Amino acid sequence: MKVKVVESVLKANDALARENRRRVDAAGVLVLNLMSAPGSGKTTLLERTIPALGAEYPAGVLVGDLQTTRDAERLGVLGVPAIQINTGKGCHLDAAQVAAGLDSLALAGMAFLFIENVGNMVCPAGFDLGEHLRVALLSVPEGDDKVAKYPTLFQPADVVLLTKVDLLGVLDYDGGRVRDDLAKLNTRAPLMEMSAKTGQGFDQWLAWLHQRWRDRHAGAAGGGRTAEQAGCA
Amino acid sequence: MHEMAIAASLVDSVLAAARRHDAIKVESVELEIGVLQLVVPEALELAFTVASAGTLADGATLKTVEVPAAARCRACDCRYEPAINDYVCPQCGQADAELVAGNEIVLKNVVCQVSDGAAK
Repeated sequence: MKVKVVESVLKANDALARENRRRVDAAGVLVLNLMSAPGSGKTTLLERTIPALGAEYPAGVLVGDLQTTRDAERLGVLGVPAIQINTGKGCHLDAAQVAAGLDSLALAGMAFLFIENVGNMVCPAGFDLGEHLRVALLSVPEGDDKVAKYPTLFQPADVVLLTKVDLLGVLDYDGGRVRDDLAKLNTRAPLMEMSAKTGQGFDQWLAWLHQRWRDRHAGAAGGGRTAEQAGCA
Repeated sequence: MHEMAIAASLVDSVLAAARRHDAIKVESVELEIGVLQLVVPEALELAFTVASAGTLADGATLKTVEVPAAARCRACDCRYEPAINDYVCPQCGQADAELVAGNEIVLKNVVCQVSDGAAK
C-alpha cells in the first residue's frame, strides 16, 4: 500500500530548535550562531568580543568541534561559561546537541549566548539551532571568492564579518569582489572589516551587538530587521 | 556531508509511518528536497541504505525530487525564484530575500507491504 506522509524529515531538529528558542527567550538571552570555515577566527573573535561586552552584557558560549576541548578552554579563561560539544564525526551542530548544551548553562542573567558552530561552510547552514541571529565569517587568507562559492551560508546571514583584514597588505585580495558577490545574495547584512590583531572593526561589531540587544528587548527579536527596510525602490 | 544526519532522520520518519500502517516491509520512499539543502542524491541514497539496514526499510528504494527555491523580497514583497548565487529582487533590486521554499526536506510517500504480502 502507498502511504501519503507529507512530513518534514527535519521536523525533529526543527521542533528541538523551537524548544531551544523558547528556553532562551524565557531567559531573555540573545543567541547568535557563528558559522564559517575552520580557521577563519571564530574563537579569536569571541576572545576579543566577550571581554569588551563586559559585566554589563554577560556572555556564554557553546562551541562545536569534532574533537578536543581546546576552544572551550581558550574561552573558559575569560571567566564565562564555555561548553564544548564534540560532534565526533558530525560536520555540524544540531538542535539536540545545543539543547544538551543549554542544560549545562545557567541562562539566568546571561545577555548573549554565542554558538560557535563546527568549522564548515555547507552543513551548519541547513540546521536551525534555535538561534536568533546568524553570523557568517570569512577571513582574508581564505580568498576573495568564498561568498560566491558558499551562497547558502551568506544568503541568510544577519551580519558578515571579513576577518584578518590586517593581512590585506600582504595578500592579493579583491575586497570589491566580496562586496559584489554579497550584493547579489544579501543586501540586508552589513559587511564589517575586522582585525582581532589591530582591533579594527570591533567598535562597529560591538555597536551592532548592542543594537540587536536593544531591538531584542524592545520586542523586535529575530532577523535583525529594521523599519527603514519597508518600501520598494 | 550532512546526508548521513538527514538519512538517519528520514529512516525514523519512514519507520514511524510504516508502523502506523502495520507494514511488514517498506518497498520505496519518495522524498522532496529543496535545492538549497545541497544534498547529493547519490550520497543520500547510500546513507539511506546504511541507516535503514536491519530495519523494515532495509532494501527500500529512495526516490528524490528536487524542489526549486522560492523567495519573498522583504523590501517590496515581490515573489520570485532566486538562483542559488543570485537573490536580487527583479522588482526592486534589493537582495533581502526571505526563503519561502528551497530548504525543505519532505517525506511524501512510503510504499510498503502490509501483512497480506501484497504491495499495493
